Formats: sequence, C-alpha cells, structure tokens
Amino acid sequence: MASTSISEKDSSPAPTPSVPSYFSYFNPVSPIIDVYERLSRIRADLDLPHPGSVENLQKEVKATHLSNYIFDGARADLTKSLSVNPLFQVTHSFALGSQTLPASYNFGAVFANQKVFLQGSVDHEGSINGRFNNGWSPNNVFKAQAQLSQQAEQSMIQLEHDYSGQDFNANIKAINPSPINLTGVYIGSYLQSVSKNLAIGLEGLYQRPTPQTSDLTVSYLAKLTSTDKTWIATAQLQPSGILQATYWQKLSEKVEVAADLQVLSAPTRRDAVATLGAKYDFRAATFRAQIDSTGKVSALLEQRFVPAFAFLVAGEIDHFKNAAKVGVGVMIESTTLTPEEMGMVPPP
Amino acid sequence: MPSEETKERISKVIEVGRTVLHYGWIPFIIYVGFTRSNPQPSLIKLISPLA
Repeated sequence: MASTSISEKDSSPAPTPSVPSYFSYFNPVSPIIDVYERLSRIRADLDLPHPGSVENLQKEVKATHLSNYIFDGARADLTKSLSVNPLFQVTHSFALGSQTLPASYNFGAVFANQKVFLQGSVDHEGSINGRFNNGWSPNNVFKAQAQLSQQAEQSMIQLEHDYSGQDFNANIKAINPSPINLTGVYIGSYLQSVSKNLAIGLEGLYQRPTPQTSDLTVSYLAKLTSTDKTWIATAQLQPSGILQATYWQKLSEKVEVAADLQVLSAPTRRDAVATLGAKYDFRAATFRAQIDSTGKVSALLEQRFVPAFAFLVAGEIDHFKNAAKVGVGVMIESTTLTPEEMGMVPPP
Repeated sequence: MPSEETKERISKVIEVGRTVLHYGWIPFIIYVGFTRSNPQPSLIKLISPLA
C-alpha cells in the first residue's frame, strides 16, 4: 500500500516548478492564478494610497463650504447621549420661521457600534428617514437608506455596497430598484489610484424609469492630492457637458479654504457658478464664510459657550435678488451618564 | 419573466415590508439602543427631551 503511493509520487512528472506536484482541480488554471498573484504582488509593492470613495470625492470641500450647514429661521436641537460605547443617542429638533420650509418637529435616534450603524428620524407628519450601515468586514460595507412618507410615490429606497481595496474603491448603488420589472436607477463607480497623488475613476449612471426606456451616462473623475495632503483638487466631467471642479486647501491648522466651479455647457443652455468659501476653527467656535457668483454672501458662526451648549447664527444676503435670510439656533447636548461612565477623568 | 400572479405577490410583499419599515424602524432602533446600552438608561429619560 505504502509502496504504491511512493511509486505514484515518483512517476508523476512536475511540468513547471510553480505547479504543485500533487493533484488539484486548480492545476489547469494555476498559471493564471500564478500570474494574478505576481501582478497583485507588483501592485502591492507600488504601495499606492487608498483614493477614498467616489461619494467622498468632494468631502473636504463640502465640509468647508456652508451650503450644507446653512439654515434660516429659528431652530433648536436637543441631543441626549444615553450611551457612549455602543453609541446611542436621541435628538429632538425643532425648526420654525423659515422662509422656505414649514415649521417642523423631528425626532431622531442613532445607534452605532463597530459593525452596525442604525439611524432613524421621524417628523411630525409621520415621514421616516432611515439609514442602515453594516460592515461585513472592514473593507466591505453594505448601506441602505430609505425615505418613507404617507404617500407611496414620495418614498425612496437606496441600497449600496462599498468595497475598498488597497488602492481602489468600488461602489454599486441601486435607487428604487423594482424586482418586478427591474426599473430604477443604478449607479456603479470605481476610483483607482494611479500614482501617489493622482486617482482617476469612472461613474456609470444607468436609468431605467420604465421597462421600455433606459439610459446610460458615464462620467469621469479625477482627484489630485498633494503629498502632504494639504490640498486636494478634484474634477468630475459628464459628457453631456457638465464639469464640476473643486479645490481645497488647508492653509493652517485652523483655516481651510475651498473653491468650487460648476460649468454647464449644453447646446441649449450655458451656465456656470463659482463658489469660494473659508472655514476658521477657533478654540470654541467655528466660522464659515462663503461668496458665490450668483451674488450670494453668507456666513455661519457656531459658538460653543460650554461643551454642552452651542449657539448658531447664520446669515445670507442675495445681492442680485435683493433678498436676505437670517437664522439663529441652539444646540443643547445632555447626557444621562456620569463623567466616569463616559470615560472622562474628573478634574482633580 | 415572472407570471402576473408572482408579480402581484411580490408587489404585495414590498408594500407590507414598506409599512413594517415605516412603523417599525424607529421603535426598532430604540429597542436595540435601549437593550444594548451600557449602562441601561431609564425609559423616561429616553423619551422626554427635558429629563
């Protein structure tokens, strides 16, 4: 018994040293696996940085500009932290006196631990906003987002899967996918680092509003990051004639500036908007100022008097339309935890 | 291609799922947060904005 197995082993020829001599169902494809492994080793040796996701391409610019933060009228946010690890907090938000939005009350709840993120909010009309993120592994994240209102037509659901490789990021999204006739909006994006500073990518948008009609548009992305990461320039080009270019620079520890240029150059319509903004981080305050080419000048001050209480003032003047907006807000954070439970050392 | 009957059944399932999500999502988060929190908060502190 033992002698036959030895003779079999001796008689089996080894075609190449890389192919293992024992029998495997992978033998026919092992050269391909070999080449793949060699390429992935070369790729790992290049040591390219992770480019960040396509969704976060303009993250720094959006955090510097105040467009995402500005509000008008009066608002109050009462946040209550009930647990730090895992994170669990509830928020009551009140808003009134806005020129564009009706008065509203919003209740939100957030739960997060290392793997799962759950967020939900409900307003006084009964509309629900929900988010669910689940990390299958540190590189694979599944995200779902839903907006549900009393009218079925206004509901929206978005399913997303994000994969981060060593030097690339791939993402697929489906908005309102229907399993019956496969209508919906599907977005796939891929961003790849090609050098230490430059990353390029593609984003495909496939729209299928009815089973008979469908439309595919591809846009091109580029992101240039300086070696010390103090400035980032991005560009996104859609072949239909829309270009969005942004530039962000960290001038010092406390000052960041960002510029954004959107150009629309379709045969029927030509338009361009430029926005320039700055953000100052003080010890207990954040100040954002912004000016754009449509004649709007705006500023937002977030002053934190004590760690649990912040006061917000926002203002915007539209010089071309001769209109102005003013907003004041308070943010109050409270906690049911004692300082020891929060992991803070009480002052001696 | 699924039959008409299957399509109808799928759309009914989606409709039910949507309703369950609509009314169950916030209570679900509160339940998960309330049971997993460390330490467990009292219910009145959870709901009232002032307490």
